[in-house]
Amino acid sequence: MSKLEFRLPLGVVSQSDIIRLSRELAAVDEFFIAAKARAAGTPVTPPRLTRLLDEISKENQLNLLQANHRQSLAQQLDKLKGSAPTIQISFAAEPPSKFLERILAWLRENIHQHALVQVGLQPSIAAGCVLRTPNKVFDMSLRAHLDKEKAYLVELIKGAVSRGGSQ
Amino acid sequence: MSSGGLIIIIGLIISATLVFTWLVWQPYRKSRKKAKIAASQIPPVSRSTLLERAQEEVDHIFNDEFREELRNRGRLHFEKVIGENAMFLQQDLRETTTQLNDYMRTEITRTLQEEFKKYQQSISDAKQLALDSIEKTVTTIEQQRHFLETQLQAQAEAQKTRIIERFEQEMASIINHYVLRAIGNQIDLSDQLEYILAELENNKKAIFEDVKAGI
Repeated sequence: MSKLEFRLPLGVVSQSDIIRLSRELAAVDEFFIAAKARAAGTPVTPPRLTRLLDEISKENQLNLLQANHRQSLAQQLDKLKGSAPTIQISFAAEPPSKFLERILAWLRENIHQHALVQVGLQPSIAAGCVLRTPNKVFDMSLRAHLDKEKAYLVELIKGAVSRGGSQ
Repeated sequence: MSSGGLIIIIGLIISATLVFTWLVWQPYRKSRKKAKIAASQIPPVSRSTLLERAQEEVDHIFNDEFREELRNRGRLHFEKVIGENAMFLQQDLRETTTQLNDYMRTEITRTLQEEFKKYQQSISDAKQLALDSIEKTVTTIEQQRHFLETQLQAQAEAQKTRIIERFEQEMASIINHYVLRAIGNQIDLSDQLEYILAELENNKKAIFEDVKAGI
């Protein structure tokens, strides 16, 4: 399974999700190691898989019961920890999960298939968002939009002032 | 008294003396004429006799009464002449005084008029100087006012321009702040999704390149 073939479900949003998945996968791995070493007749309590781990294994057609699949997934997750591009996006308020999924889907479709997002809060944005890549800041807020439309705003104000002056 | 008056008085005294002498000498001339006529009629006598006779005649004619009479007449005449001359002198003095008064009045008037003219001229010059000075001051003040007005207008225009520029620079922030304050709590992120996706689409290339460069 190559790096490009590995698919991240939209539920995996940030680096913390990757870390959580790694930890969960390690717990599963430990369970199976413990299961091998258990005495006969000892009750087995398998760890609960989270929806996210389930999704990622399904997306990548991995069977977590198989040790090589778990190992492969763990390797991919380790790679992602160091290499997945993290894009920081700030909003005026906490974004709903559906909303965030749409953004993430776009990013993974158009920018990078393993793109991760770190959501920030910045109430002064009012509307829109501010996106930060490793070297750049893309201001897509209302303020930036108003800045772009400054000429039109000035025209409107001049029109209002001249109307006020003529009255 | 002036030298002219003194000369007149001395002249009068000399003329009175001459008149007195003439009056005294007149009877003597008449008696000499008579004596000549008598001498031409009488036979010649000796010189000494004649002198004696003449002396006698003189003593006879110019006796004390006659001399007193002559003195009285001379005194009276002298007094008359003196009186007349005093009158003339008084008249002259009066005329002189009048002329002098007229002269003084004329001179004083002329001098006063000249002084008044000079004074008026001085006042006129001073007035003209004051007017010129005021005019210059007014011109200077007008120039200063014009200069200050121009400066104020320029500063006002510059200030206005600065304020407008500042407003235009900060306009987006002002409106943003206003929107945030007015409807900040009512803005739903879900409504902004299309806008954000459109913005992402607009910046897609730059984001892609930067992310690619960062990997």
